[in-house]
Amino acid sequence: MKVLRNLSIVCASLWLAACSTTGGNPAANDPYESTNREIFDFDMRLDRHVLLPTAAFYAQVVPEPARDGVHNFLQNLDLPVTFANDLLQGETTRGSETFARFFVNTTFGLGGLFDVATRWGIPNHSEDFGQTLAVWGAGEGPYLVLPFGGPSNPRDFAGNIIDNAFDPTTYIAYNYKFYWSVGRTLVHVIDVRARSASLLQTIERGSVDYYASVRSLYRQNRQNEINNGKVNLENLPEF
Amino acid sequence: MQITSSAATLNRFRMPVRELFRALFLGALISALALMLAGTPARAEANPEQFVAVNIQKGFNILNDRSLPDARRRAEFRDFLISLTDIRRIGLFTLGPARRSASPQDVDAFVDAFRDFAVAIYESRLSAFSGQTLKVTGSSEVGPGDTVVHTQMVDPRASGQPPLNVDFRVSHRNGKFSVIDVSVAGIWLAIEERDQFASFLNDNGNNVGALARHLRDMTRQIRNGAAPQTADHGG
Repeated sequence: MKVLRNLSIVCASLWLAACSTTGGNPAANDPYESTNREIFDFDMRLDRHVLLPTAAFYAQVVPEPARDGVHNFLQNLDLPVTFANDLLQGETTRGSETFARFFVNTTFGLGGLFDVATRWGIPNHSEDFGQTLAVWGAGEGPYLVLPFGGPSNPRDFAGNIIDNAFDPTTYIAYNYKFYWSVGRTLVHVIDVRARSASLLQTIERGSVDYYASVRSLYRQNRQNEINNGKVNLENLPEF
Repeated sequence: MQITSSAATLNRFRMPVRELFRALFLGALISALALMLAGTPARAEANPEQFVAVNIQKGFNILNDRSLPDARRRAEFRDFLISLTDIRRIGLFTLGPARRSASPQDVDAFVDAFRDFAVAIYESRLSAFSGQTLKVTGSSEVGPGDTVVHTQMVDPRASGQPPLNVDFRVSHRNGKFSVIDVSVAGIWLAIEERDQFASFLNDNGNNVGALARHLRDMTRQIRNGAAPQTADHGG
Protein backbone atom coordinates (compact mmCIF):
# COMPACT_ATOMS: atom_id res chain seq x y z
CA MET A 1 0.00 0.00 0.00
CA LYS A 2 2.78 2.37 0.90
CA VAL A 3 4.55 1.68 -2.36
CA LEU A 4 1.33 2.26 -4.29
CA ARG A 5 0.78 5.51 -2.46
CA ASN A 6 4.24 6.75 -3.30
CA LEU A 7 3.94 5.63 -6.89
CA SER A 8 0.66 7.46 -7.24
CA ILE A 9 2.31 10.65 -6.02
CA VAL A 10 5.15 10.21 -8.51
CA CYS A 11 2.66 9.61 -11.33
CA ALA A 12 0.65 12.64 -10.32
CA SER A 13 3.81 14.72 -10.37
CA LEU A 14 4.85 13.47 -13.76
CA TRP A 15 1.34 14.03 -15.07
CA LEU A 16 1.53 17.62 -13.92
CA ALA A 17 4.87 17.93 -15.70
CA ALA A 18 3.42 16.50 -18.88
CA CYS A 19 0.49 18.89 -18.71
CA SER A 20 2.63 21.95 -18.24
CA THR A 21 1.26 24.94 -20.10
CA THR A 22 2.43 28.46 -20.64
CA GLY A 23 1.23 30.93 -17.99
CA GLY A 24 1.31 34.69 -17.83
CA ASN A 25 5.06 34.86 -17.50
CA PRO A 26 6.67 31.99 -19.43
CA ALA A 27 10.10 32.68 -17.99
CA ALA A 28 8.78 31.88 -14.52
CA ASN A 29 7.72 28.36 -15.63
CA ASP A 30 4.68 28.64 -13.37
CA PRO A 31 1.51 27.64 -15.29
CA TYR A 32 -0.33 26.83 -12.04
CA GLU A 33 0.55 30.16 -10.46
CA SER A 34 -2.93 30.91 -9.21
CA THR A 35 -3.17 27.63 -7.29
CA ASN A 36 0.44 27.85 -6.21
CA ARG A 37 -0.18 31.29 -4.74
CA GLU A 38 -3.11 29.99 -2.73
CA ILE A 39 -0.99 27.17 -1.34
CA PHE A 40 1.83 29.62 -0.69
CA ASP A 41 -0.56 31.80 1.30
CA PHE A 42 -1.62 28.75 3.29
CA ASP A 43 2.02 27.83 3.96
CA MET A 44 2.74 31.41 4.99
CA ARG A 45 -0.17 31.47 7.45
CA LEU A 46 0.98 28.18 8.90
CA ASP A 47 4.48 29.56 9.17
CA ARG A 48 3.38 32.79 10.81
CA HIS A 49 1.08 31.19 13.37
CA VAL A 50 2.76 27.86 14.12
CA LEU A 51 6.23 27.27 12.74
CA LEU A 52 7.86 30.63 13.35
CA PRO A 53 6.67 30.93 16.98
CA THR A 54 7.84 27.35 17.60
CA ALA A 55 11.22 28.03 16.03
CA ALA A 56 11.59 31.25 18.05
CA PHE A 57 10.80 29.35 21.25
CA TYR A 58 13.34 26.66 20.30
CA ALA A 59 16.04 29.28 19.64
CA GLN A 60 15.23 31.00 22.92
CA VAL A 61 15.20 27.92 25.14
CA VAL A 62 17.92 25.73 23.60
CA PRO A 63 21.50 27.09 23.84
CA GLU A 64 23.31 27.67 20.55
CA PRO A 65 25.91 24.87 21.00
CA ALA A 66 23.10 22.38 21.54
CA ARG A 67 21.27 23.66 18.48
CA ASP A 68 24.46 23.31 16.44
CA GLY A 69 24.79 19.75 17.67
CA VAL A 70 21.25 18.93 16.61
CA HIS A 71 21.85 20.54 13.23
CA ASN A 72 25.08 18.61 12.69
CA PHE A 73 23.50 15.34 13.79
CA LEU A 74 20.60 15.66 11.36
CA GLN A 75 22.90 16.75 8.54
CA ASN A 76 25.06 13.69 9.14
CA LEU A 77 22.02 11.44 8.85
CA ASP A 78 21.45 12.77 5.33
CA LEU A 79 24.90 11.79 4.08
CA PRO A 80 24.03 8.24 2.93
CA VAL A 81 21.44 9.77 0.58
CA THR A 82 24.02 12.26 -0.67
CA PHE A 83 26.56 9.47 -1.13
CA ALA A 84 24.18 7.34 -3.21
CA ASN A 85 23.35 10.27 -5.45
CA ASP A 86 27.01 11.25 -5.80
CA LEU A 87 27.66 7.80 -7.23
CA LEU A 88 24.54 7.79 -9.42
CA GLN A 89 25.80 11.01 -10.98
CA GLY A 90 29.24 9.52 -11.56
CA GLU A 91 30.81 11.96 -9.11
CA THR A 92 33.24 9.54 -7.50
CA THR A 93 35.46 12.24 -6.02
CA ARG A 94 32.54 13.96 -4.35
CA GLY A 95 31.26 10.55 -3.30
CA SER A 96 34.52 9.74 -1.57
CA GLU A 97 34.36 13.12 0.18
CA THR A 98 30.86 12.34 1.40
CA PHE A 99 31.97 8.92 2.62
CA ALA A 100 34.97 10.43 4.42
CA ARG A 101 32.78 13.13 5.91
CA PHE A 102 30.31 10.57 7.23
CA PHE A 103 33.09 8.45 8.71
CA VAL A 104 34.87 11.38 10.36
CA ASN A 105 31.77 12.99 11.82
CA THR A 106 30.23 9.72 12.96
CA THR A 107 33.39 8.70 14.81
CA PHE A 108 35.42 11.77 15.79
CA GLY A 109 32.29 13.92 15.69
CA LEU A 110 30.59 11.68 18.26
CA GLY A 111 27.81 10.33 16.12
CA GLY A 112 27.57 13.48 14.03
CA LEU A 113 27.04 15.96 16.86
CA PHE A 114 30.22 17.82 15.90
CA ASP A 115 31.15 18.78 12.34
CA VAL A 116 34.82 17.83 12.54
CA ALA A 117 35.01 17.09 8.81
CA THR A 118 34.45 20.68 7.72
CA ARG A 119 37.29 21.82 9.97
CA TRP A 120 39.44 19.16 8.37
CA GLY A 121 38.70 20.49 4.90
CA ILE A 122 35.80 18.22 3.94
CA PRO A 123 32.84 20.61 3.66
CA ASN A 124 29.28 19.48 3.26
CA HIS A 125 27.54 19.37 -0.09
CA SER A 126 24.04 18.26 -0.91
CA GLU A 127 22.91 15.77 -3.51
CA ASP A 128 19.48 14.28 -3.92
CA PHE A 129 17.63 12.27 -6.52
CA GLY A 130 16.02 15.39 -7.96
CA GLN A 131 19.51 16.58 -8.86
CA THR A 132 20.40 13.13 -10.15
CA LEU A 133 17.36 13.16 -12.45
CA ALA A 134 18.47 16.57 -13.72
CA VAL A 135 21.98 15.29 -14.42
CA TRP A 136 20.42 12.40 -16.30
CA GLY A 137 18.59 14.92 -18.48
CA ALA A 138 15.15 15.27 -16.87
CA GLY A 139 13.55 18.71 -17.02
CA GLU A 140 12.25 20.36 -13.90
CA GLY A 141 8.61 20.53 -15.00
CA PRO A 142 6.32 23.32 -13.83
CA TYR A 143 6.99 25.13 -10.61
CA LEU A 144 4.91 23.81 -7.71
CA VAL A 145 4.24 24.94 -4.17
CA LEU A 146 3.46 22.02 -1.86
CA PRO A 147 1.16 22.28 1.14
CA PHE A 148 3.42 22.05 4.22
CA GLY A 149 6.39 21.61 1.88
CA GLY A 150 7.08 24.90 0.11
CA PRO A 151 8.61 25.36 -3.34
CA SER A 152 9.24 22.33 -5.55
CA ASN A 153 8.63 20.87 -8.98
CA PRO A 154 7.64 17.38 -10.21
CA ARG A 155 11.24 16.32 -10.72
CA ASP A 156 12.36 17.35 -7.24
CA PHE A 157 9.19 16.04 -5.60
CA ALA A 158 9.58 12.64 -7.26
CA GLY A 159 13.24 12.71 -6.26
CA ASN A 160 12.27 13.28 -2.63
CA ILE A 161 10.27 10.10 -2.59
CA ILE A 162 12.92 8.02 -4.34
CA ASP A 163 15.52 9.27 -1.84
CA ASN A 164 13.77 7.18 0.82
CA ALA A 165 15.27 4.14 -0.84
CA PHE A 166 18.78 5.49 -0.19
CA ASP A 167 18.20 6.24 3.47
CA PRO A 168 19.40 3.29 5.60
CA THR A 169 16.96 4.20 8.36
CA THR A 170 14.17 3.16 5.99
CA TYR A 171 15.30 -0.46 6.31
CA ILE A 172 16.37 -0.58 9.94
CA ALA A 173 13.79 -1.95 12.36
CA TYR A 174 13.87 -0.38 15.79
CA ASN A 175 11.53 0.51 18.59
CA TYR A 176 9.38 3.62 18.25
CA LYS A 177 10.32 4.02 14.59
CA PHE A 178 7.16 5.99 13.88
CA TYR A 179 7.88 8.51 16.62
CA TRP A 180 11.52 8.79 15.56
CA SER A 181 10.51 9.58 11.97
CA VAL A 182 8.02 12.20 13.09
CA GLY A 183 10.53 13.71 15.49
CA ARG A 184 13.29 13.83 12.90
CA THR A 185 11.02 15.66 10.48
CA LEU A 186 9.77 18.15 13.01
CA VAL A 187 13.19 18.96 14.42
CA HIS A 188 14.55 19.36 10.88
CA VAL A 189 11.88 21.88 10.03
CA ILE A 190 12.26 23.79 13.31
CA ASP A 191 16.05 23.84 12.92
CA VAL A 192 15.81 25.30 9.41
CA ARG A 193 13.22 27.87 10.42
CA ALA A 194 15.15 28.99 13.48
CA ARG A 195 18.29 29.47 11.42
CA SER A 196 16.50 31.41 8.72
CA ALA A 197 14.19 33.62 10.80
CA SER A 198 16.12 36.86 10.53
CA LEU A 199 17.08 36.44 6.90
CA LEU A 200 13.61 35.47 5.72
CA GLN A 201 12.17 38.51 7.41
CA THR A 202 14.74 40.68 5.66
CA ILE A 203 14.01 39.13 2.27
CA GLU A 204 10.27 39.52 2.72
CA ARG A 205 10.66 43.12 3.82
CA GLY A 206 12.63 43.96 0.69
CA SER A 207 10.47 41.99 -1.75
CA VAL A 208 8.14 43.58 -4.24
CA ASP A 209 6.50 40.18 -4.58
CA TYR A 210 7.58 37.65 -1.96
CA TYR A 211 6.05 34.72 -3.84
CA ALA A 212 7.95 35.59 -7.02
CA SER A 213 11.10 36.15 -5.00
CA VAL A 214 10.94 32.71 -3.37
CA ARG A 215 10.20 31.13 -6.75
CA SER A 216 13.24 32.75 -8.35
CA LEU A 217 15.49 31.93 -5.41
CA TYR A 218 14.38 28.29 -5.36
CA ARG A 219 14.85 27.76 -9.08
CA GLN A 220 18.23 29.48 -9.24
CA ASN A 221 19.46 27.66 -6.16
CA ARG A 222 18.41 24.27 -7.49
CA GLN A 223 20.17 24.95 -10.78
CA ASN A 224 23.29 25.92 -8.88
CA GLU A 225 23.14 22.68 -6.89
CA ILE A 226 22.69 20.66 -10.07
CA ASN A 227 25.78 22.41 -11.51
CA ASN A 228 27.68 21.68 -8.28
CA GLY A 229 28.35 25.38 -7.83
CA LYS A 230 29.85 25.97 -11.27
CA VAL A 231 28.61 29.04 -13.17
CA ASN A 232 26.81 28.11 -16.37
CA LEU A 233 28.02 30.91 -18.64
CA GLU A 234 25.74 29.91 -21.50
CA ASN A 235 22.62 30.55 -19.42
CA LEU A 236 23.54 34.09 -18.38
CA PRO A 237 21.12 36.67 -19.81
CA GLU A 238 22.03 39.61 -22.01
CA PHE A 239 22.13 42.95 -20.21
CA MET B 1 7.59 4.84 5.42
CA GLN B 2 4.72 7.26 5.11
CA ILE B 3 6.22 9.51 7.68
CA THR B 4 9.64 9.11 6.13
CA SER B 5 8.19 10.18 2.81
CA SER B 6 6.83 13.32 4.36
CA ALA B 7 10.13 13.84 6.06
CA ALA B 8 11.95 13.50 2.80
CA THR B 9 9.71 16.05 1.16
CA LEU B 10 10.43 18.55 3.85
CA ASN B 11 14.06 17.59 4.03
CA ARG B 12 14.55 18.22 0.35
CA PHE B 13 12.92 21.59 0.82
CA ARG B 14 15.26 22.16 3.70
CA MET B 15 18.44 21.34 1.80
CA PRO B 16 18.26 24.09 -0.77
CA VAL B 17 16.74 26.53 1.67
CA ARG B 18 19.40 25.96 4.28
CA GLU B 19 22.18 26.87 1.89
CA LEU B 20 20.05 29.54 0.35
CA PHE B 21 19.40 31.36 3.57
CA ARG B 22 23.01 31.49 4.53
CA ALA B 23 23.94 32.61 1.06
CA LEU B 24 21.37 35.33 0.90
CA PHE B 25 22.27 36.69 4.28
CA LEU B 26 25.73 37.43 3.02
CA GLY B 27 24.41 38.13 -0.45
CA ALA B 28 22.59 41.19 0.71
CA LEU B 29 25.87 42.50 1.95
CA ILE B 30 27.73 41.65 -1.18
CA SER B 31 25.07 43.40 -3.22
CA ALA B 32 25.98 46.62 -1.54
CA LEU B 33 29.52 46.14 -2.74
CA ALA B 34 28.24 45.47 -6.22
CA LEU B 35 26.44 48.76 -6.24
CA MET B 36 29.59 50.47 -5.11
CA LEU B 37 31.55 48.79 -7.83
CA ALA B 38 29.12 49.60 -10.60
CA GLY B 39 30.30 52.60 -12.48
CA THR B 40 33.64 52.87 -10.75
CA PRO B 41 36.20 54.18 -13.25
CA ALA B 42 38.72 51.63 -14.42
CA ARG B 43 41.66 53.78 -13.36
CA ALA B 44 44.77 51.61 -13.15
CA GLU B 45 42.94 48.28 -13.11
CA ALA B 46 44.15 46.30 -16.09
CA ASN B 47 41.59 43.50 -16.02
CA PRO B 48 38.27 42.55 -14.42
CA GLU B 49 39.89 40.46 -11.70
CA GLN B 50 42.05 43.35 -10.60
CA PHE B 51 39.10 45.71 -10.81
CA VAL B 52 37.07 43.52 -8.50
CA ALA B 53 39.91 42.87 -6.08
CA VAL B 54 40.85 46.54 -5.70
CA ASN B 55 37.32 47.81 -5.27
CA ILE B 56 36.19 45.06 -2.94
CA GLN B 57 39.01 46.06 -0.65
CA LYS B 58 37.94 49.69 -0.81
CA GLY B 59 34.37 48.74 0.00
CA PHE B 60 35.31 46.53 2.92
CA ASN B 61 37.60 49.22 4.29
CA ILE B 62 34.61 51.52 4.62
CA LEU B 63 32.19 48.93 5.90
CA ASN B 64 34.60 47.43 8.42
CA ASP B 65 35.84 50.77 9.72
CA ARG B 66 34.58 50.48 13.28
CA SER B 67 36.28 53.70 14.30
CA LEU B 68 33.45 55.61 12.63
CA PRO B 69 30.17 56.05 14.50
CA ASP B 70 27.53 53.86 12.94
CA ALA B 71 25.39 56.75 11.70
CA ARG B 72 28.36 58.42 10.05
CA ARG B 73 29.54 55.19 8.50
CA ARG B 74 26.10 54.68 6.99
CA ALA B 75 26.01 58.26 5.72
CA GLU B 76 29.44 57.94 4.16
CA PHE B 77 28.50 54.68 2.56
CA ARG B 78 25.28 56.13 1.19
CA ASP B 79 27.09 59.10 -0.31
CA PHE B 80 29.76 56.82 -1.71
CA LEU B 81 27.09 54.57 -3.18
CA ILE B 82 25.18 57.37 -4.83
CA SER B 83 28.27 59.04 -6.18
CA LEU B 84 29.76 55.91 -7.70
CA THR B 85 26.74 53.94 -8.85
CA ASP B 86 25.59 53.85 -12.42
CA ILE B 87 22.57 51.75 -11.67
CA ARG B 88 20.61 52.63 -14.79
CA ARG B 89 21.77 49.62 -16.78
CA ILE B 90 20.91 47.20 -13.98
CA GLY B 91 17.55 48.88 -13.50
CA LEU B 92 16.70 48.64 -17.18
CA PHE B 93 17.62 44.96 -17.16
CA THR B 94 15.30 44.29 -14.23
CA LEU B 95 12.43 45.88 -16.18
CA GLY B 96 12.67 43.20 -18.85
CA PRO B 97 10.48 43.51 -21.97
CA ALA B 98 8.22 46.08 -20.26
CA ARG B 99 10.95 48.62 -20.83
CA ARG B 100 10.21 48.68 -24.56
CA SER B 101 6.57 49.69 -24.18
CA ALA B 102 7.12 52.17 -21.36
CA SER B 103 7.33 55.91 -21.89
CA PRO B 104 10.74 57.56 -21.36
CA GLN B 105 9.26 59.47 -18.41
CA ASP B 106 8.11 56.26 -16.72
CA VAL B 107 11.49 54.62 -17.35
CA ASP B 108 13.32 57.58 -15.84
CA ALA B 109 10.96 57.59 -12.85
CA PHE B 110 11.55 53.87 -12.42
CA VAL B 111 15.33 54.20 -12.52
CA ASP B 112 15.19 56.94 -9.87
CA ALA B 113 12.87 54.85 -7.69
CA PHE B 114 14.99 51.73 -8.20
CA ARG B 115 18.13 53.58 -7.13
CA ASP B 116 16.51 54.84 -3.91
CA PHE B 117 14.97 51.43 -3.25
CA ALA B 118 18.32 49.66 -3.62
CA VAL B 119 20.09 52.18 -1.41
CA ALA B 120 17.39 51.85 1.27
CA ILE B 121 17.62 48.07 1.26
CA TYR B 122 21.38 48.00 1.53
CA GLU B 123 21.43 50.72 4.15
CA SER B 124 19.14 48.61 6.29
CA ARG B 125 21.49 45.64 6.04
CA LEU B 126 24.84 47.27 6.67
CA SER B 127 24.90 46.42 10.36
CA ALA B 128 25.61 42.81 9.41
CA PHE B 129 29.02 43.71 7.97
CA SER B 130 31.76 42.62 10.30
CA GLY B 131 35.14 41.36 9.29
CA GLN B 132 34.24 39.38 6.16
CA THR B 133 36.96 38.91 3.58
CA LEU B 134 36.66 38.18 -0.11
CA LYS B 135 39.37 36.65 -2.29
CA VAL B 136 39.45 36.60 -6.09
CA THR B 137 39.95 33.02 -7.28
CA GLY B 138 39.71 33.39 -11.07
CA SER B 139 37.48 34.51 -13.92
CA SER B 140 35.55 33.24 -16.94
CA GLU B 141 34.80 35.16 -20.13
CA VAL B 142 31.14 35.26 -21.10
CA GLY B 143 31.82 37.24 -24.28
CA PRO B 144 33.73 40.30 -25.46
CA GLY B 145 33.80 42.84 -22.63
CA ASP B 146 31.72 40.54 -20.44
CA THR B 147 33.47 38.57 -17.68
CA VAL B 148 32.48 36.68 -14.55
CA VAL B 149 35.02 37.15 -11.78
CA HIS B 150 34.94 34.34 -9.21
CA THR B 151 35.59 35.08 -5.54
CA GLN B 152 35.22 33.30 -2.24
CA MET B 153 33.96 34.96 0.89
CA VAL B 154 35.06 33.94 4.35
CA ASP B 155 32.90 34.96 7.25
CA PRO B 156 34.77 34.75 10.56
CA ARG B 157 31.48 34.45 12.44
CA ALA B 158 30.55 31.30 10.53
CA SER B 159 33.33 29.19 11.97
CA GLY B 160 33.61 25.75 10.42
CA GLN B 161 31.55 26.80 7.42
CA PRO B 162 33.03 26.42 3.95
CA PRO B 163 33.78 29.64 2.01
CA LEU B 164 30.88 31.10 0.09
CA ASN B 165 31.17 31.44 -3.70
CA VAL B 166 30.49 35.00 -4.84
CA ASP B 167 30.69 35.84 -8.56
CA PHE B 168 30.76 39.32 -10.06
CA ARG B 169 29.66 39.85 -13.64
CA VAL B 170 31.83 42.65 -14.93
CA SER B 171 31.17 44.63 -18.08
CA HIS B 172 33.88 46.56 -19.88
CA ARG B 173 32.53 49.36 -22.05
CA ASN B 174 34.15 52.57 -23.27
CA GLY B 175 37.26 51.86 -21.23
CA LYS B 176 35.30 51.51 -18.03
CA PHE B 177 34.62 48.48 -15.86
CA SER B 178 31.31 48.10 -14.11
CA VAL B 179 29.56 45.31 -12.26
CA ILE B 180 26.20 44.41 -13.76
CA ASP B 181 25.21 41.49 -11.54
CA VAL B 182 26.36 39.55 -8.51
CA SER B 183 25.83 35.89 -7.77
CA VAL B 184 25.90 34.54 -4.24
CA ALA B 185 26.03 30.75 -4.09
CA GLY B 186 24.68 30.65 -7.62
CA ILE B 187 21.84 33.12 -7.15
CA TRP B 188 22.10 36.10 -9.48
CA LEU B 189 20.56 39.04 -7.68
CA ALA B 190 19.59 41.18 -10.68
CA ILE B 191 17.85 38.15 -12.17
CA GLU B 192 15.96 37.60 -8.93
CA GLU B 193 14.92 41.26 -8.94
CA ARG B 194 13.84 41.03 -12.58
CA ASP B 195 11.68 37.98 -11.79
CA GLN B 196 9.90 39.89 -9.03
CA PHE B 197 9.31 42.95 -11.18
CA ALA B 198 8.05 40.77 -14.04
CA SER B 199 5.41 39.36 -11.72
CA PHE B 200 4.33 42.83 -10.56
CA LEU B 201 4.23 44.16 -14.12
CA ASN B 202 2.28 41.12 -15.32
CA ASP B 203 -0.38 41.83 -12.70
CA ASN B 204 -0.44 45.55 -13.41
CA GLY B 205 -0.70 45.75 -17.19
CA ASN B 206 3.05 46.33 -17.66
CA ASN B 207 2.63 49.72 -16.02
CA VAL B 208 6.20 50.78 -15.30
CA GLY B 209 4.94 53.97 -13.63
CA ALA B 210 2.95 51.87 -11.15
CA LEU B 211 6.08 49.84 -10.38
CA ALA B 212 8.03 53.04 -9.77
CA ARG B 213 5.33 54.26 -7.36
CA HIS B 214 5.29 50.91 -5.59
CA LEU B 215 9.07 51.01 -5.17
CA ARG B 216 8.82 54.49 -3.68
CA ASP B 217 6.20 53.27 -1.19
CA MET B 218 8.38 50.31 -0.27
CA THR B 219 11.40 52.57 0.13
CA ARG B 220 9.45 54.68 2.64
CA GLN B 221 8.36 51.56 4.52
CA ILE B 222 11.90 50.18 4.66
CA ARG B 223 13.28 53.48 5.92
CA ASN B 224 10.53 53.69 8.54
CA GLY B 225 11.12 50.08 9.56
CA ALA B 226 7.49 49.26 8.78
CA ALA B 227 6.17 45.77 8.17
CA PRO B 228 6.50 44.54 4.61
CA GLN B 229 3.60 44.97 2.23
CA THR B 230 3.67 42.93 -0.92
CA ALA B 231 1.84 43.79 -4.09
CA ASP B 232 -1.73 42.66 -4.69
CA HIS B 233 -2.31 39.86 -7.13
CA GLY B 234 -5.37 39.11 -9.09
CA GLY B 235 -4.47 35.42 -9.34
